[in-house]
Amino acid sequence: MATRTIVEVPGVARRKRLEETYIGDWLMTTDHKKIGIMYMITGFFFLMSGGVEALLIRTQLAVPNGHVLTPEIYNQIFTMHGVTMIFLFVMPTLTGFGNYVVPLMIGARDMAFPRLNAFGYWVVLFGGLFLNSSFLFGAAPNGGWFNYAPLNETAAGCGNGIMCTPGMNEDFWLLAILLLGISSISASVNFVVTILKMRAPGMTLNRMPLFTWMTLVTAFLLLFAIPSLTAVSVLALLDRHLGTHFYQAASGGDPLLWQHLFWSFGHPEVYILILPVFGMISEILPVFSRKPIFGYTFIAWSGVAIGFLSFTVWAHHMFAVGLPAVAQAFFATSTTLIAIPTAVKIFNWLATITFGKISLKVPMLFALGFIGMFLIGGLDGLALAVVPFDYQVTDTYFVVSHLHYVLFGGSVFGIFAGVYYWFPKMSGKLLDERLGQIQFWLMLIGVNLTFFSMHILGLLGMPRRIYTYPANFGWDEINLLQTIGAYMLGIAIMVFFVNLIVSLRNGKEAGDDPWDAFTLEWDTTSPPPHYNFPVVPTVRSRRPFYDKKNPDIADWKTATH
Amino acid sequence: MAEEQNQNQKSQQLPDKGPPSKGVQGQALQPSTSYWPFALAVALSILLLGVITGPVVLAIGAVLTAAAVIAWGLERR
Repeated sequence: MATRTIVEVPGVARRKRLEETYIGDWLMTTDHKKIGIMYMITGFFFLMSGGVEALLIRTQLAVPNGHVLTPEIYNQIFTMHGVTMIFLFVMPTLTGFGNYVVPLMIGARDMAFPRLNAFGYWVVLFGGLFLNSSFLFGAAPNGGWFNYAPLNETAAGCGNGIMCTPGMNEDFWLLAILLLGISSISASVNFVVTILKMRAPGMTLNRMPLFTWMTLVTAFLLLFAIPSLTAVSVLALLDRHLGTHFYQAASGGDPLLWQHLFWSFGHPEVYILILPVFGMISEILPVFSRKPIFGYTFIAWSGVAIGFLSFTVWAHHMFAVGLPAVAQAFFATSTTLIAIPTAVKIFNWLATITFGKISLKVPMLFALGFIGMFLIGGLDGLALAVVPFDYQVTDTYFVVSHLHYVLFGGSVFGIFAGVYYWFPKMSGKLLDERLGQIQFWLMLIGVNLTFFSMHILGLLGMPRRIYTYPANFGWDEINLLQTIGAYMLGIAIMVFFVNLIVSLRNGKEAGDDPWDAFTLEWDTTSPPPHYNFPVVPTVRSRRPFYDKKNPDIADWKTATH
Repeated sequence: MAEEQNQNQKSQQLPDKGPPSKGVQGQALQPSTSYWPFALAVALSILLLGVITGPVVLAIGAVLTAAAVIAWGLERR
């Protein structure tokens, strides 16, 4: 508790307590807004790290027979790129949005368990640092982001042509995943209790903002999916350190157990990465179309349906391992079914903007970009649900294209839509519109240049994860094009960081409600005071702040809400 | 705890304009700060690092984790 600063108070001289210093204030905070901002800063820090790794991959693959990296380092880089982007960028950033926005949206003063909330954040930070510290040991994880068995086994698990990883590489992956799982569970418990128990008077589930709805569904998904990931990691640690053989076929174990357990987490994880973004888009489109959301009930409940169905589709990642025909039929069907609630959302979003007074501000551009890009990723997913086609393109760049359209074109576009939309609330400043437009168009062109041509590359048979490739397979020009696209994406992200710095220093004052928005987070100052609202608001419709600004035509007077 | 906070929200309504009085803001509405969440996260990371590096680090991590959990539980709020 000892500090360095002395505060002069008339008649009294005392040392500042730790929480009164700037650093101590952030270290000890339990304020959901500060914790949300820390989550997002951490997420964007790891975006830079994962982005550099992506550029290294693309530089290595730009031309045939490339030798920018060694094969060993290349394996570590592409593994860390995937793990970083999924577990350390998208997940923490979305949790940050939830932390900052959800209590404000529902009229609460904080999360239900503020200390647990702080703990969840610090575990993410140290989990990320722990994982990346593996580079210092020259032993970063190198078995791909899903770290299949028996590749993740020690020497006891390999031989007879079976590869394994005797070094510490996989231990870092397994232990970091355990840490990050603890954080996810902490955050999820907090979201569930906060959303179910701390809503403002009058805010029934049927009036809850859709971002809050999707955060709730995501929290439940995490609560049910993370235990599977934890179990799969613990079993691997037991194999590696205590001589068990859960995944060692030669000793009666089964490597496919890893795939089943991992993907029973891994596919809900895809929706964990995208459902909060669906919520963001459902908030942004109505505001910039000057209309209420179309089909609120369908959007909310289709999110719930996606949540349930996401636990029934995991083995579509495993068609090529030789599942029984009945299992293939089941998982192909369930994968096709999940497209229905997803399409319900897309049609409702399109109906929302139809005949609206559309304002093409940067948040809206990213939201529209999200719809287009996510649609491509979703249709790819449907194609991959067709078992014979999946056989042809499994483990090729077609799959890489699909997952990047979903996660970059989907999650990342949505995250930037959310950043441009809520940054004024968080900082009191508007992000620069011109720089935002430059970033958007660079990203839109970059994402298609990089990932669309991967469809063709996959159909031409280029396997994913290969270190290099020979010339004259018809892959050369396409790979170069993808590398150019990847650097465009890198520039776009740099433009964003420039925008962030410039706007924080010299940005236009945002005011409390720069977008003439509808929900409660805008009914307080920018940035909000520690206690969020001087008076806890009372809610009478799905657009409580719109009602307050337009009492004569309030939703609760004119519509059924 | 959630219900308790919810009741606080409903009962402690503040004036429409201006910040709430310091007493109300400090005591009823704001959760108090704590460095134990931070400390526990550090201790857990050391514990898991010990799995890789050896029993000494593992033991230090275990002691720190236990200490952080106990201290968090005993902290006055």
